[in-house]
Amino acid sequence: MKRFVVLLAVLIALFSLGMAQAQDETVLIIGHAESTDSLDPARGFTQTTGVVNKATYETLVTFPDGDASEVLPLLATEWTISEDGLSYTFTLREGVTFASGNAMTAADVVFSFNRLINADGNPSFLADNIASVEASDDSTVVITLAASSPSFLTQLTNSAFSISDSATIAANGGVDGEDAATADAAEEYLNGTSAGTGPYILEAWEAQVETVLVRNANYWGDAPYFDRVIITNIPEPATQAVALQSGEIDLALDLTSDQIAGLEGTDGISIYRGPANIVHFLLMNANPDVGGPVSNPLVARAIRLALDYEGYKTLWGGVQPGTNLAVGLLGAYGEDQAIERNLDEARALLAEAGFADGFDITLDYPDFSFQGVNMNTNAQKIQADLAEIGINVTLNPAEVQVALEGYRAGTQGFAYWFWGPDVLDPSDVLSFLPGGKVASERAQWLPENAPAEINDLIAQTGSTFAAEDRVALFGQLQDFLQESGPFAPFNQPDIQTAFASSLQGYVWHPQWLLDVAILSEGM
Amino acid sequence: MSFQLYLLRRILFVIPVCLGITLFAFVIANAVPADPITANLPQSALNNEEIIAAFRARWGLDQPPHIQYLTYLGNLLQGDLGTSIKTRNPVAEDIGKFLPATIELATVGIVFGIVFGVAFGVISAIWRNTLADYLVRILSLLGVSFPVFVLALVGLTVLHAQWRWVPGPGRLGVLLDDPPFVTGLFLIDSLLAGEYETFRDALSRLILPGLVLGLYVSGIIARITRSSLLNVLGLDYMRTARAKGLRERVTIWGHALPNALIPVVTVIGLSYSNLLSGAVLTESIFAWPGIGRYMFRASTSQDFPAIMGGSIVIALIYVGVNFVVDILYYFIDPRIRLA
Repeated sequence: MKRFVVLLAVLIALFSLGMAQAQDETVLIIGHAESTDSLDPARGFTQTTGVVNKATYETLVTFPDGDASEVLPLLATEWTISEDGLSYTFTLREGVTFASGNAMTAADVVFSFNRLINADGNPSFLADNIASVEASDDSTVVITLAASSPSFLTQLTNSAFSISDSATIAANGGVDGEDAATADAAEEYLNGTSAGTGPYILEAWEAQVETVLVRNANYWGDAPYFDRVIITNIPEPATQAVALQSGEIDLALDLTSDQIAGLEGTDGISIYRGPANIVHFLLMNANPDVGGPVSNPLVARAIRLALDYEGYKTLWGGVQPGTNLAVGLLGAYGEDQAIERNLDEARALLAEAGFADGFDITLDYPDFSFQGVNMNTNAQKIQADLAEIGINVTLNPAEVQVALEGYRAGTQGFAYWFWGPDVLDPSDVLSFLPGGKVASERAQWLPENAPAEINDLIAQTGSTFAAEDRVALFGQLQDFLQESGPFAPFNQPDIQTAFASSLQGYVWHPQWLLDVAILSEGM
Repeated sequence: MSFQLYLLRRILFVIPVCLGITLFAFVIANAVPADPITANLPQSALNNEEIIAAFRARWGLDQPPHIQYLTYLGNLLQGDLGTSIKTRNPVAEDIGKFLPATIELATVGIVFGIVFGVAFGVISAIWRNTLADYLVRILSLLGVSFPVFVLALVGLTVLHAQWRWVPGPGRLGVLLDDPPFVTGLFLIDSLLAGEYETFRDALSRLILPGLVLGLYVSGIIARITRSSLLNVLGLDYMRTARAKGLRERVTIWGHALPNALIPVVTVIGLSYSNLLSGAVLTESIFAWPGIGRYMFRASTSQDFPAIMGGSIVIALIYVGVNFVVDILYYFIDPRIRLA
């Protein structure tokens, strides 16, 4: 036995020596619970696919590094939109080559989009609205839509709309015709290597083990810092935390807020915090039979004035959103345009509505924690905040599925929920305006409850395309929501990520989660 | 009974078991109240009858169940386990990739388990009701009842992150390439290719997860060894052996232990099959790309070909290990030879 223990100790010591490995290239190692379904841009539609394809492919247009506040040129340098909003003409960037060395032309855009449309892959539905894609010359592409859609440009930032190398893909069994769902055979090839214009090339994907990216020597832009990026699959967040502490990985993508809290203050580990795009809000049913006192717009406004917005930020960080349009999206009202707490004004509004002595009400919400935010904690704070203006709230937490049922049926009078945007576009807030999903179905706030001019403005959002016009239009709608809406958005919490302190430039992105090409190493 | 006859009987016994397994796996896979169509087609395609029909036809879901089963059985006889809906690879190929990782881990785990388990069991039986016995019994109770994922995480945090005695999660350091595929077992493939650095890394990464699994199974092995050995130690021929003046070491290792081995070998066989069928939690925590995690993913996405293929392979592992155990009985226990 003794001999065995000694032998084991010797073995362990021997192997420990081999742990430090010499590196002569810059390598970034990311720990992540891999969800890749496919790395073929026309077929993959998961978070990991987005991270990988963001590095290996590029889209016609993109967002800024840290948010979705505007649409920027990428492979297209400029674009025009026809009067009727149906036709988008893109001018392509000159001098862009694929990893293979082939020049990127309009034919590649046509091939990539048609292949996406026809492959019937998981993300193909994103292109449902595209009627045709045509190349008018080598550097001009015209996309025609079936119905006008002001959020079309923001949709194009999705990596499903990556521009891929048509010659290389065709040589490996790829087709873009209507039979692509069955005839296209390039997926296996694209799962082994990439065919894009991005700063990296996919060197290998070993499903459930690791994804390896290497620098693209033919990249048209500035070369990224890291020679090699390895995304190693660590399905268990607790293991990611250990691996980060021991230095086996540089960045852990899936830590829970408890684990982040545990890493706080650890030498050599930094924590990133920035607002995510989840908005926590109160819903006040506009139907008097369901909402009772809170169906009165004056009461709704009083509740908005009574919430202690700074207090929620103390709890979860993040920002106070101006309305239900998440901060970070084009035209969204941020803190400078948000409602400020004013208890006197709130009490006056309650009195004006006939509730000078306050009232009793029940708050429905799911007994749930989302991205580390405990809804019970927030509900208790809401209860305390509203007690200050005489509203006596009884908390009614329910199991998520049960609570969801009432929410979806529109039978909750006063409720607490959260919302993440379906599209990273201001049009997402239409869900919270009369006729939108949340407003009409869940808060019973119908177009007939809204003034005609507001319904007009809502209608105009479908045919307003220029960014500055959209900002103005959605500004008016946000003013209206702050004044008369049946919602009280109160916090947009932080998202948190932990990484080695030597890593520079990390930001979380609502669309692609992580852009490895903007990371570097310092210290 | 001759060895040939014994072997033949064991082999004949395996056939209906295998057939039963395939039927069982098929019924279970079809009985679960989940729809492979909603699990595997994108939301947008669910309204499209054509896409749904094509999906059904492609995966044979449009056929009546008994035809589906017979087709499956026919393919199975040709070594075709079907194609995974999720990974779109042949299931046999997927399993070929994930199973060796599990075999390697389970084998190291069972070796640790046998070494610790048998040693603890013998110590505990010989020094019955002493401090050593109590300690071993407490330890083995802990081994059996302690959640394996806690052991794994504590091991990683202390032995890896703090003391740096062992490397971190994963089957191979991320900067090393897999050795050229021959058996899929990294230890063997790296030696065959002469990649000693890879061999050393792969072996060092097996120590901690192997130890965790080993401690986990050693508890039950120790308990069975102890009780079986105590049983034998009380028998007449042990007294005879001592009476004729044999040294204690010879009586125990030469006479008692071999006769106490039958239940121990059975438990070792079961534990080994258990580890081979994939320790999902251990594999998850150590980021080990094994069959347990493959099956877990298949189950959560209703990937029926993968679930069935995996279940059948796992069941066959049980049958195979049991078969080996049966053969071992023949050599360990002369009474079976005479029966």
